[in-house]
Amino acid sequence: MFKELDPILHSQLRLAVMSLLIGVKEAEFTFIKEKTNSTAGNLSVQIQKLKDAGYIDVIKQFKDNYPQTTCKITKLGIKAFEEYVVNLQSYLGGT
Amino acid sequence: MIIMNEQEKILTEKESLDLITQMINKAKDACHDTGIAAIMWGAVIAICSLVRLSELHFGYRLPFDIYLLTIVAVIPQIYFTIKEKKQRKVKTYDDGFMDSLWMGFGICIFLMIYTTSAMYSQWDPAADEYRKLTGNAYPFRLYEFTSPLFLMLYGLPTFVTGVSMKFKPMLWGGLLCWVSCLVTIYTPIKIDLILVALSSIFAWLVPGIIMEKDYRKAKSELAQANV
Repeated sequence: MFKELDPILHSQLRLAVMSLLIGVKEAEFTFIKEKTNSTAGNLSVQIQKLKDAGYIDVIKQFKDNYPQTTCKITKLGIKAFEEYVVNLQSYLGGT
Repeated sequence: MIIMNEQEKILTEKESLDLITQMINKAKDACHDTGIAAIMWGAVIAICSLVRLSELHFGYRLPFDIYLLTIVAVIPQIYFTIKEKKQRKVKTYDDGFMDSLWMGFGICIFLMIYTTSAMYSQWDPAADEYRKLTGNAYPFRLYEFTSPLFLMLYGLPTFVTGVSMKFKPMLWGGLLCWVSCLVTIYTPIKIDLILVALSSIFAWLVPGIIMEKDYRKAKSELAQANV
C-alpha cells in the first residue's frame, strides 16, 4: 500500500529548498533564491512554512551591516525528506 | 530551468524526483573551491627550492633568505581566505574540516621551522668546533634531513584532502610527497631540492590549476543556466 506523500514537501518550491539544503550544512537566503529562481516574497512564505513544520532552522543576523538570513535543515527535516524519497520511490517502483 | 512561480504547481512523482536530483546537483556545483591558494603555495615552494638549488649549484647567495617568501605569501593567503569566506553563500559539512586541517598544517609548518632552526643553532657551533679540531667536515649532515621532515608534513593534508574530496590529483600529489620523503633521506641536498620542487608542483600547483579550471567552468555554466 502506498503511503501518502508529505504535503509539506510535496510542493515545488518547498521541495526545491529542502533538496538544496539536504546536501549542505547551511545556505544563505540569496543562494536559495538564486538556485530556485523564485521571488523573494514567495520564497519567504515557503521557508516560513518549512520552519513552522520544524523542517528547517532560520537564522537571522547582520553581516557587514546588512541583514543576512541563513537556512539550515533540522534532524526532523532530514527524516521527513528521507521518508518522502522512500515513498516517492515506492510510487515510481510500484511496490 | 525551473522557475518557481507564486502559484504552487502540483508535482507528479517523476517530476518530484527530477527536481530533487536537479537541486542536489545545483548545490554540489556551487561548492567548487577555487584553486588560487594551492597554485600560489605550489609556486612559492617550487620557486624557493629552485632558487636555493641555483645558489648551491652556482655558488652565489642572494642578499636575503629566499624562504622568507613563504612568510610574505601568508599575506595574500589571509586576503584569499577572508574574500572566499565573504563570498561563500553556502557552507558544506566538509568546509570546517578542511579549514581546520589546513590551519593545523600551517601551525605544524611554523613549529617545524622553529624546531629545525633551534636544532641548527646547536648543531652549527658543534660542527664548526669539530672542523677546527679535526680539519674535516662534521660527518653528520643535519641539513640533509630537513627536506624529508617537511615533505612528510606536506603529504598529510594533501593526501587527506585528495581522499575526502575524491580529488585524485591531490591524492597522488600527497603520495608523491611521502615517496619523495623516503628518497630524500638517501639523496644529496641538490636532489632533495629538486624533489621538493617537483612534489610541490604535483601536490599543489597542478591540482590547483585543475581546481581553478573546474571552478571557473562551473561558475560559467551556472551563469549561463540562470540567463
